[in-house]
Amino acid sequence: MNTHQKHGFWHRYFFSLDHKDIGFQYMLTIFFMVAIGGFFAYVFRMHLAFPDMEVPLFGLVTNTDYNMLITNHGLIMMMWLALGMLLAVAGNYLIPILIGTDDMAFPKLNKLSYWFFLISVILMVTSFFLPKGGVRGGWTMYPPLSVGDFGYNTPYATFSDRFFSSNSFVLLAIVFEFTALLMGGVNFFVTTLNKRAKGMTLMKMPLVVWMINIASVLFMFSVGPLVAGTFMLLLDINVGTGFYDPYRGGDPLLWEHLFWFFGHPEVYVILLPPLGILAEVISVNSRKPLFGYKFILTMTLIAAVLSMMVWAHHQFVSGIDPRAATVFSIFTIIISFPFAGIILAYIATMWYGKLRFNLPMKWAVGSVVLFTLLGGFTGLHLGASVFDIYAHDTSFVVAHFHYTLFPTVIFGSFAGIYYWFNKFSGRELNKTLGNLHFWLTFIFFNGFAFPLFLLGLAGQQRRVANYSQIEFLMQDPLPLYRQIATISAVILILTQFIFLFNFIWSLLKGKKVSTDNPWEANTLEWQTSSPPPHGNFKTYPIVYHGPYEYNIPDRDTDFTPQNEK
Amino acid sequence: MNIFPENASSYGAEIDFIFWLITIVVAVAGVVVLFLVLYPIFNRKKDYTKEQRYLKGDNFKQLRWIYLGIVLLAIADFSFLFKEESTWTKIEETLPNKDLHIAVIGRQWMWEFVYPGPDGKLYTDDDVKAINQLHIPVNATVHMDIQAYDVIHSVFIPNARFKQDALPGRSITRWVKMTKTGEYPLTCAEICGIAHANMKATITVESEEDFNKTIAKLYKE
Amino acid sequence: MKNSSKKITWRQIPQARLAVWALIAGEFAIFGGLIVLYILNRLKYESWGEMAQHTNVIAGTINTFVLLTSSFFVVKAHEAAVHKDKQKIKLWIWLTIACAFMFLGIKTYEYTHEIMHGFTLPGNALLAEGKTVEVMYWSFYYTMTGLHGLHVIAGALALFFVMRKVTKTEENYHHIEAAGLYWHMVDIVWIFLFPLIYLIH
Repeated sequence: MNTHQKHGFWHRYFFSLDHKDIGFQYMLTIFFMVAIGGFFAYVFRMHLAFPDMEVPLFGLVTNTDYNMLITNHGLIMMMWLALGMLLAVAGNYLIPILIGTDDMAFPKLNKLSYWFFLISVILMVTSFFLPKGGVRGGWTMYPPLSVGDFGYNTPYATFSDRFFSSNSFVLLAIVFEFTALLMGGVNFFVTTLNKRAKGMTLMKMPLVVWMINIASVLFMFSVGPLVAGTFMLLLDINVGTGFYDPYRGGDPLLWEHLFWFFGHPEVYVILLPPLGILAEVISVNSRKPLFGYKFILTMTLIAAVLSMMVWAHHQFVSGIDPRAATVFSIFTIIISFPFAGIILAYIATMWYGKLRFNLPMKWAVGSVVLFTLLGGFTGLHLGASVFDIYAHDTSFVVAHFHYTLFPTVIFGSFAGIYYWFNKFSGRELNKTLGNLHFWLTFIFFNGFAFPLFLLGLAGQQRRVANYSQIEFLMQDPLPLYRQIATISAVILILTQFIFLFNFIWSLLKGKKVSTDNPWEANTLEWQTSSPPPHGNFKTYPIVYHGPYEYNIPDRDTDFTPQNEK
Repeated sequence: MNIFPENASSYGAEIDFIFWLITIVVAVAGVVVLFLVLYPIFNRKKDYTKEQRYLKGDNFKQLRWIYLGIVLLAIADFSFLFKEESTWTKIEETLPNKDLHIAVIGRQWMWEFVYPGPDGKLYTDDDVKAINQLHIPVNATVHMDIQAYDVIHSVFIPNARFKQDALPGRSITRWVKMTKTGEYPLTCAEICGIAHANMKATITVESEEDFNKTIAKLYKE
Repeated sequence: MKNSSKKITWRQIPQARLAVWALIAGEFAIFGGLIVLYILNRLKYESWGEMAQHTNVIAGTINTFVLLTSSFFVVKAHEAAVHKDKQKIKLWIWLTIACAFMFLGIKTYEYTHEIMHGFTLPGNALLAEGKTVEVMYWSFYYTMTGLHGLHVIAGALALFFVMRKVTKTEENYHHIEAAGLYWHMVDIVWIFLFPLIYLIH
């Protein structure tokens, strides 16, 4: 095992090859992006509830500002937070240590992928400050609007106008980010197949490793056409090709297909890693083997394949052939079955358990409850193509995807952070602040997202800068709903400062962990010191058991570490 | 409960029905799921033997409850699909005989409505145009050719439960039949630029006589 | 699985080869997407083939042979790498890179020719005549061949750096094979592009 000497700050946070440090670099970068995305959410929510008021810390929100804010909020949260947090952070930190090896297969490639990610972040942030302001065509960036003022239908725009436009920059940023994640994906794939500890067969790997790998492969196959499509959109803007321009022989619907062919699998790319994290957390804290390991794995693989065939359910009323919609409706319905199976398997894991209702478990249960009850089930509403005629592009959709993404991405990430914090810092998070953080987040997330369902049913369209222009949306009690949503959203955002304080304070001054295995878990990361040394293990572990062997009947302890005979 | 805007079209009630059907089934399922999650949490002090706890769910017998859950979901899902499919066919896939054929054209940032002139045909020289004001006769099947000049727009008539994206470069024909007279809003549901919020029109549903008068008046202008 | 020596386990596959496989899968998703879009447009427009007559089929054919030859050279380089023969590795890889340059040279000649004939982007001259289909054809032509050209450059660079590193450090000879795999991918993509773009009329 390689033993490196301790490195200085710069070396550690900018040039490190260690997978844990790279994971941490990703996490800090993503925290920075989330701060921007969250601030944007605060500004436009305030504007929606109190249209004529100056928003504190921002000022008066014009229509242009509003469009820019919602677009970049969506882009940052989907592309940089969700994809980054769950593929890059979770993948980098967890995969090598959970499969019992010292590092990634290609540490230099890993570093390179972080640098690409950093370039994408810089491009994205720069785009806000370009002369014409940030992108404002919605995060889906449907052309021709996203080609916009820079396209070849406005001949007076010069090449530098086009290239130094936020549209070009954001598309480039997306290409860079995808490249970073693809490099990461290649790395995860090779590491998992090739560097597992002795004795760790594929069926003895923790589920989260499986899930991140399936997500990476799914990402790789679904993103290809969109990478091509993004190049094409860049060329449409900068060179004057006509792929999406109906006046040059192209078709704007093409982008919608390419975007959603990636966009829907992306939902599952985002969803699978937190499902893996939930599997770890729920199994450990129920003190029971994960119920149906192979069953869950099979269901995941089925869902991953199906997810490539449902994209057009985002486009029921976008002008596709209505007969095709029926096919997509059927696939959309079928894809709910594997997820129902997975969720039920998690719930079954909790039954007959000796539950420890601690912080990671709270986030996990909260995630399961919200994701199933309000995210998954409202998916059935939207999957029914007829109701989607009405609900498409209304706040109902906004509420639905916030209920699917927030419980998985945010709750799942927090479950992971609260669970593995002891490991990567060697210290404990403050429990009181943690509880406060959980309950406030849980309550005010609902307070924010639930009114959006009602607003959507009342016919409120998305992405409208000023509802006071539209009389039927100003009838009582709709403005009140908007205000409830806004106030809850603001409290939700403020609540995250509790976490931030807790995180930083605990990282520097928190109580040191008394044992290396505080949760009494089986998986390999808990069988080394906290924080793990460079190279993770003093000697390579040899694996004898599956990852979820809790309460084996003829043993004294209720847990059996994977590397214990 | 009055959570939808008032329905004024021939097929709006069917869409509302689908919503309520799914909502009720889902609410029942939700209560079951909530119970399944909360029960082990509130009974976490209960003692079970290690044999009872060591459940790996690796055979069909143990997994049967999960399969049952999936089958129940499948039954519910496919009955929704069965129910909604006929409505979908009726609204989107078929075009009933028309009483009036108009064009609805979105452009940044207004709605342009084109009626056939005295010759009764659309896309001829005597077409009648109106901006942001749509008049249609009550109880008439109206075919709409939905188009856009510049970027993607979306015709949304909440009271008719009608929505269709308008794409530049193609014309999409859909129909609507309003059953109540009155004034209803028509808005744009796809972000289309700075004044997306202002891109709205009014639909006036009126009796056939009033409608003919309106068209005649528009033609004179 | 562990005990049966005949079965190849994942762990026996060199990491570099696994990584290149994954990379190739990703590249195929990108080019596959483009090719599907191209075919859809081809089917949509009847006059599509007319534009293909303006491409230089002879140059395209020569380029196909150049790439096929280069693939042969890479195979020879792999053979040399198996025998750890540094001189031969250098020889074959340099020949491959020479082929890459030849390919790019011919491509440049073609581009110049086509641009001289007015098939440019943004294609305002064509648009003025109302030839929208043609604009689409040339959009696809330049995008697909251009993206492929970038891959040729990337593949040549990869071969060059791998060769330098392998001959210098005298270890990891299997990296030659991995870089060669990538080069074959570049070749295969062209095999798809050539009939689609040049020979469809």
